[in-house]
Amino acid sequence: MAAVRIALLTIRLVMRTKVALFFTFLFPLVFLFAYAGLIAHGRPDVVAYMFGPVVTLNIMGSGFFGLGIQSVMQRERGSLRRYRLAPLGPRTMLLSNLLANYLLELPTIGLLLFCAIVIFHMPMKVGWVTLLVLVTVGTFAFAGFGLTIASVANTMQEAQVYNNIVWFTLLFLSGVTFPLPMLPRTIQRLAMFFPSTYLVSSFQSITAQAETLLKHWPEMLVLVISGCFGLLFAMKLFRWEKEERISTRAKLWSGVFVLPFLVMGVWMNTRANPTATWSRSYNAMEQDSSVGPSAKAVKPNLIEDFEGVQTSAELSRRWRVSADSDAANHSVAEVSLLTPGAEGTRHAMRLKGHLAPGPENAQGYVAARYEVQVPANSECLRGIEFETRGDLRVYEVTVQPPRAASTSPLPAIRFVPGEAWEGVRLPIAWLANPADRGLPDAPWVLEVLVTGPAGEFTLDLDEIRFY
Amino acid sequence: MCFTNAPKEGRSWFLGLGNEGSSWFPSLGQEGSGEVGTRRLSPPVLSCSYSPMTQIAKKPVLVSVQNLCKHYGDLAAVGGLSFDIFQGEVFGLLGPNGAGKTTTIEIIEGLRQGDSGSVRVCGLDPAQESLSLKERIGAQLQSTVLPDKMRVDEALRLFAGFYRRSVSVETLLERFGLKEKRHTFFEKLSGGQKQRLALALALVNDPELVLLDEPTVGLDPQLRRDIYVLIERLREEGRTVLLTTHYIEEAERLCDRVAIMDRGQLVALGTPRELITRSGQGTRLELHLAKPVGLERLKVIDGVIDCHEAEGAYFLRAHPPALTIAALVRFLESDENALLDLHIARPSLEDVFVEMTGRRMEP
Repeated sequence: MAAVRIALLTIRLVMRTKVALFFTFLFPLVFLFAYAGLIAHGRPDVVAYMFGPVVTLNIMGSGFFGLGIQSVMQRERGSLRRYRLAPLGPRTMLLSNLLANYLLELPTIGLLLFCAIVIFHMPMKVGWVTLLVLVTVGTFAFAGFGLTIASVANTMQEAQVYNNIVWFTLLFLSGVTFPLPMLPRTIQRLAMFFPSTYLVSSFQSITAQAETLLKHWPEMLVLVISGCFGLLFAMKLFRWEKEERISTRAKLWSGVFVLPFLVMGVWMNTRANPTATWSRSYNAMEQDSSVGPSAKAVKPNLIEDFEGVQTSAELSRRWRVSADSDAANHSVAEVSLLTPGAEGTRHAMRLKGHLAPGPENAQGYVAARYEVQVPANSECLRGIEFETRGDLRVYEVTVQPPRAASTSPLPAIRFVPGEAWEGVRLPIAWLANPADRGLPDAPWVLEVLVTGPAGEFTLDLDEIRFY
Repeated sequence: MCFTNAPKEGRSWFLGLGNEGSSWFPSLGQEGSGEVGTRRLSPPVLSCSYSPMTQIAKKPVLVSVQNLCKHYGDLAAVGGLSFDIFQGEVFGLLGPNGAGKTTTIEIIEGLRQGDSGSVRVCGLDPAQESLSLKERIGAQLQSTVLPDKMRVDEALRLFAGFYRRSVSVETLLERFGLKEKRHTFFEKLSGGQKQRLALALALVNDPELVLLDEPTVGLDPQLRRDIYVLIERLREEGRTVLLTTHYIEEAERLCDRVAIMDRGQLVALGTPRELITRSGQGTRLELHLAKPVGLERLKVIDGVIDCHEAEGAYFLRAHPPALTIAALVRFLESDENALLDLHIARPSLEDVFVEMTGRRMEP
C-alpha cells in the first residue's frame, strides 16, 4: 500500500515538472513521427512494422533514464534518506518506482498507438490484451535493466556511462534503429543476446503480422526472467545513501543479470533458423508496402519462401530436377512441399532421393534448378541466403548468371546441413554492381547440387532471398 | 520572565536579571534593576526547569547504549560509548563536528549498524527490528530533502500513511505554523520552514522517542529560537527527545542531561548544572573600577580563584560568586573605590568541554 502511495505521488510530481512531462509524453512522439514519417513514408503496414521499434525505444528509455537514472538521482540528492526513517524497506521503494514507471508508460504507449492509428492509419492487427502484455513484459524487463544499473553505479556519472554503453549497443544492434534483416549475419547472431531484440521482433511479428503471443513465449519468458533478476539485484544491492559504495565483487555478481540473455542467445544461435521470424515480418512488411498506391521505395528481395505454393506438383513445375538417371545411371530425386517450414513458416521444400554410384567409380549427381529474376535496379544486394537442414551430406548451391553477365567464376557454396534449420549465405560479387547482372529480363539459375557418396539424401530449403 | 540568549559564540556573559529560580545569584536577582552592566545577556540555562536527576532516573530506560563502537576504515567514529536515556527526558549529544554524534544517533535510529556494543531502543534492537522500531520513533535528519515539487500537506499525508498510528495532518500544520504553506512546494520553503516541516514529519506517527540531529544547524538565531520553542513543547508533552547539537546554548537551554562527546568518546555526562558545578571553573566576574587596584589585593578576596587584568578591566574567577561579590563590595568600600561596571558570567558547557579536552569546541 505504501508503494502505491509513493507511486501515485511520484506520478503527480512528474505531472508538475515540465521537463519530465516533455520526455515522458512528447519525446516518444518525435520518434514515432520520425520512424513513421521519414522511414515508413506513412505507409500503414510499414508503420505497423516500425511501431515495435518505436515502442521498444520508449520502453528502453523509460527503463534506463526514467527509472535507472531517477533512482540514482534520488539517492544522490538525499531524498531517499527521509523515506528510510519511515517503516519502509527497499522492496517498497523499488516497487513504488516500478509501479510509477509502468503507470507512466501506459499512457505514453496509448498516445503512440493513438497517433499511429489516427494519423498514420496503422492497421491494428493485435488485440489490446496482447499489446498490454507485451508492453508490461517489456517495461518490466527494462525496468530490471535500469534498476540493475542504478544498483551497480556508485555515482550519477558512473550510471550515465553504463547507461550509454548499454543504450547505444541495444539501440543500434538489436533492430531498434535498423531492421535486423538488413544487418550482417554476424550482427544478427550478436543481436540474439540482446533483450531489445526479443521485444522488437515480438512486437513486429505481433503488430505487423498478427502472430500470437504464445508463439513468442520463449522471448517473453526471458524478458520476464531478466526483469525478475534485475529486481532481485536491485533489492539486494539497494542503497539509501550516496555515501554507501558497492564493492567490485558485488558489481561482478550483478553480471548474473545477463545470464538469461546469454542462455537465450546461445539457444537462439543454435536453433536452425533463428532469423526466420525477423525476415518473415520484414519481408511481409516489404511485400505489403510494395503493393498499393503508396508503395514506392522498398523492393522485395524474397526469391522463394514456398508460402504461395499449394501442392508438390506445383512445386515440381517451378523447380526442375535432373539426375544422372538421364545418363543411364540410377539416381532419382523429387521435390515436395514440406509443412511446416523453417521456424514458424507454413511451407518449405524438400529435395529427397537416392544417389546411385556413377559409372567406373564416378559419383552420381542430382540437381534442382530454379529460375531467379534478379531485381535490375536494386542496390546493396550482396548475395543469396536461405534456410536449410539436411542429413549431414555435402551439398552445393551455385548461381548461374545469364549470358552477357560477368565472366567471373560461378559463385558457389558447399555446406553440410544438420538436423536443425540454419541459415546459409552465398555471396555473389556481381550483385553489387547492377551493370554486372546481365540482361534485366534474363533469369539467373539457382542450382542445388547433390553429389558425393551413393545413398539416400534429404535436403530441406526455405526462405530463399537476396540479402 | 524575559530572557535573551547568549552570544552565538557561546560565551555566556550576562547579568542576573530577575532569575527567581536561580540559586546562583539570589541577591543580584532581587536587587538588580536589570541594568548593572552594558550587556543585557542572561543565561538561558537558568530558565530551564530541570527534572532532577533522581526523578528522571526513576523512569524507565528508553534508550540504552553500551560500549558502542563504530569505525569507518581506520577512523573510530564512535569508540566505546555508553549512556542511557530515560523516558520523558530531553537528552543532548553535544560535541564539535566529527565527534560522532550523528553516527551515534543514526545507529539508534537503525540507519547504521555499530561494529560492536549493544543498543536497545524502546526495548528493540535497531539493527534487527528496524521496521518495528520506526513505528515508535520519529526522527529528523540534519538536512531533510524531499522532492522539489512535493507540497507540504502532501508530504505530511504521504508519511502519515506509512505508519499504523498517525497524527492528523491538520494538527501538525497548525502546530508547526505551516497552515499557510500547506500548498507550497518543498523547493519554495525557507530554511526555517523546511526544518519545521522536518520536525512535523518526525512527529507524524506520534512517536515515543523523538530523535533530532542538529535541528537548528544553519538557521539564523530567530529561527533557532522558534525551533527551541517547538522542542520545549515536546518536553512539556512528556516525550523523550534525543538531540545532537554543537551549540552550547541549545544544549544548556533544552537538555535535561547532556553527553559531551569528542572524537567518538564520551567526555562528560550529566545535567548541564552538574557538569558545570563539577567542572570547578568558577563564575567569571569582569570589573571596571574607578581607581586601579593591585591584583594581589583582589586575589585575597573571599572566593576568588584567580584574577588578571586586561585593557583596564579586572577578570576574576570566583566560587561561590555571591560570597565573592559581597566581599568585593566591602573591599571597595574600605578602599574608597567604586564599582563602575560589573559583568557576571556563569561557566558554560563549553568551559566544561575545554576543561575535559584542552580544546575549544569549534563547530
